[in-house]
Amino acid sequence: MTDAPERITLEEWDVQYEKLRRAGMRQPQYGGPLSRHVEDGDHRLRKLRYDNSAAALRLWNFLLTEEDRLREARSAGKKIVGTMKDLGTVPVMAYCFDNVAAFYPDGAWWIPCVMELSDGLLEVADSLGIDESFCPVRAMLGAFVTGAHFPIPDMLICSVGATCDDLSAIAQRLNGLGHPIFWWEMPHRRCPEQDEPAVILPGGIAAPKCQVEFVKSELERVKAALEELAGERLDEEKLSAGISQANRVRQYLAELRYLAFTAEPCPIPALEMLIAEMLAIHFCSDRRETIAVLGELLEEVRGRVNAGLGVLDADAARIFWVNPVADLQVMNLLEDCGGRVCGTEYLFTHALDMIPQDVPPLEALARCALADPMAGSSIDRAERICADVRRFGAEAVLISRIPGASHCALEGQVISEIVAETLDVPVLEIEVPPVTDSMSPTLRTRIEALVETVRARRRATQGIRSDR
Amino acid sequence: MICAGIDAGSRTIKVVLIDTDSLEIVGKGLTDQGVEQDKLASGLFKKVLKSSGATEKDVAATVATGYGRNAVGIADTTITEITCHAVGVHRLMPTARTVIDIGGQDSKLVRLDGSGKVRDFAMNDRCAAGTGRFLEVTAVRLGVELDTLGKLAAGSRRPAAISSMCVVFAETEITGLLACGTGREDIVAGVQAAIASRIVAMAGRNIEPPIVFTGGVAMVSGMAAALQTALGQTVTVAPQPQMTGALGAAILAADRNR
Repeated sequence: MTDAPERITLEEWDVQYEKLRRAGMRQPQYGGPLSRHVEDGDHRLRKLRYDNSAAALRLWNFLLTEEDRLREARSAGKKIVGTMKDLGTVPVMAYCFDNVAAFYPDGAWWIPCVMELSDGLLEVADSLGIDESFCPVRAMLGAFVTGAHFPIPDMLICSVGATCDDLSAIAQRLNGLGHPIFWWEMPHRRCPEQDEPAVILPGGIAAPKCQVEFVKSELERVKAALEELAGERLDEEKLSAGISQANRVRQYLAELRYLAFTAEPCPIPALEMLIAEMLAIHFCSDRRETIAVLGELLEEVRGRVNAGLGVLDADAARIFWVNPVADLQVMNLLEDCGGRVCGTEYLFTHALDMIPQDVPPLEALARCALADPMAGSSIDRAERICADVRRFGAEAVLISRIPGASHCALEGQVISEIVAETLDVPVLEIEVPPVTDSMSPTLRTRIEALVETVRARRRATQGIRSDR
Repeated sequence: MICAGIDAGSRTIKVVLIDTDSLEIVGKGLTDQGVEQDKLASGLFKKVLKSSGATEKDVAATVATGYGRNAVGIADTTITEITCHAVGVHRLMPTARTVIDIGGQDSKLVRLDGSGKVRDFAMNDRCAAGTGRFLEVTAVRLGVELDTLGKLAAGSRRPAAISSMCVVFAETEITGLLACGTGREDIVAGVQAAIASRIVAMAGRNIEPPIVFTGGVAMVSGMAAALQTALGQTVTVAPQPQMTGALGAAILAADRNR
């Protein structure tokens, strides 16, 4: 454990950095003070509050140097694969090849936030007919056109079908701009018919065996395409080893999530947890380093929990968060309003559940891919959310909509009603665009009101003096 | 001793003073909101104190609420308008289970439990289509005073259909309706129905009576009727609907002072 845990500003991080450096902090090659990224145009960093540990610094530096890492991979002769939409399955396969680096071009959706719209990516997407009626992931289109954020991949792989309408449309536009895409299909996950052979997927959902077989056949095609690109065969042994490494990431995240969401007081801020969880879907272009980064973060959190230390007041309202935010600052805002995150459903729970290791590896990946919350019904999502709300002891649910994102528009109300009916906890829906500065007061009001509601319920339950 | 509630809304600032023990209102006042929010709130606070025969020394605690609550320097603490409206309405109408508050800039639907505590709430999004702002824009576009809208709407025979979910687009629709010769009374009635339908959409499927309507827009005649039609349930306008947030803030100040 590096210091008394607290949330600090970027300026305070400069001081903290010098202090840690003098104390002998070991830094990876991509280390350095956090504020240096502002010079690269990451202006939003000046407005965020961060965890003050060396482990958190490493996490942020790892995230913010991904573009450099990809360019280094290209220089070193590695093949670069952009894996789009499937959120966590294809990267597991891609990282089984020594000469392949995979990344997640959809991750460009955070560039307008981090660069406070100065990058112009959304304007480029606008000019290509992909306007604000689409999810901010349309920034990816701009990133491909400008070429300023990541090297153009040697291969693009994208899942379509029962995934995300916005991303599919954007990816098709990208294809039309001369970036060929290897498409694979994800069927809409359905409940097995009576007497139909079924398989229990990671996360506990049942699916027809024939659907798993179909996804497996699609992943066979993906595997063959990757083998051709890499010039190397991917046998079962290698794939199993890759799954084993991916499961190490998931295992670290499972413990990290459990501690972060259940320990009193809260041992790590919501923002760092969001970044950490995201590593599960793409490894930030380096799987081995992902394991090291998460290992150090977990060690820090374990130390804090054992010492009874945290970053927030012990009475923080316990909020379950649904969907990732387009503006990172909103995770800070929740904590500024007296809340803490106790459970998340960022639309990739299938990338957090362990990949089965007792079945053939491609079958295991197919099961995982089919467990994608986007591929199933909103009711499945809501039920998983209810189960996790209970598991982590959350007192309210906050559904954060992404403007233009079709899934959010369609699913928010369904999830909200099911959660409210099943658990009788307050549910709040908010909408978070990439930069929320102008709407910060109204967002604050809603989140503060949710926290007040939780606290009033607590007082009523505890039988002490009521709110009035 | 007395306690004070200050509701710094987007259109107006309201102050309510109550007796800390009896919770009876001993003073109240209202002024338009402006750029210097703190100064305006402080000025109104002093004016209401003076008219009530009290001084600042008599004030045990002050709670600020509303959109501009964090700009009110004289407040001891801030509480959101959702909690304050719930408390204020419960004080005035203890059986209320649903509070609809339509203010100048936003609208809220608050569900209460039997003891008047907030069970759940919803607020309109960034769009102003379900708020008093829509009525203001309409009044300007039609060249009439805001307080005459209700009277105009009462004369409507065939309310115009306003389909836009956005005030800016709706203004364009109003222009189009005027160009087509649609009467002002039908346009106003259409706008009121559009606001009501936004509230119904926000409410979802479950809305438990009794329903109490509060906030500045509750004073616009015709709005309660429009809501009633859209919801298919009786809607009662709270007594002094503009003041319920400030009243709730004052009651919460008294509670915290005990």
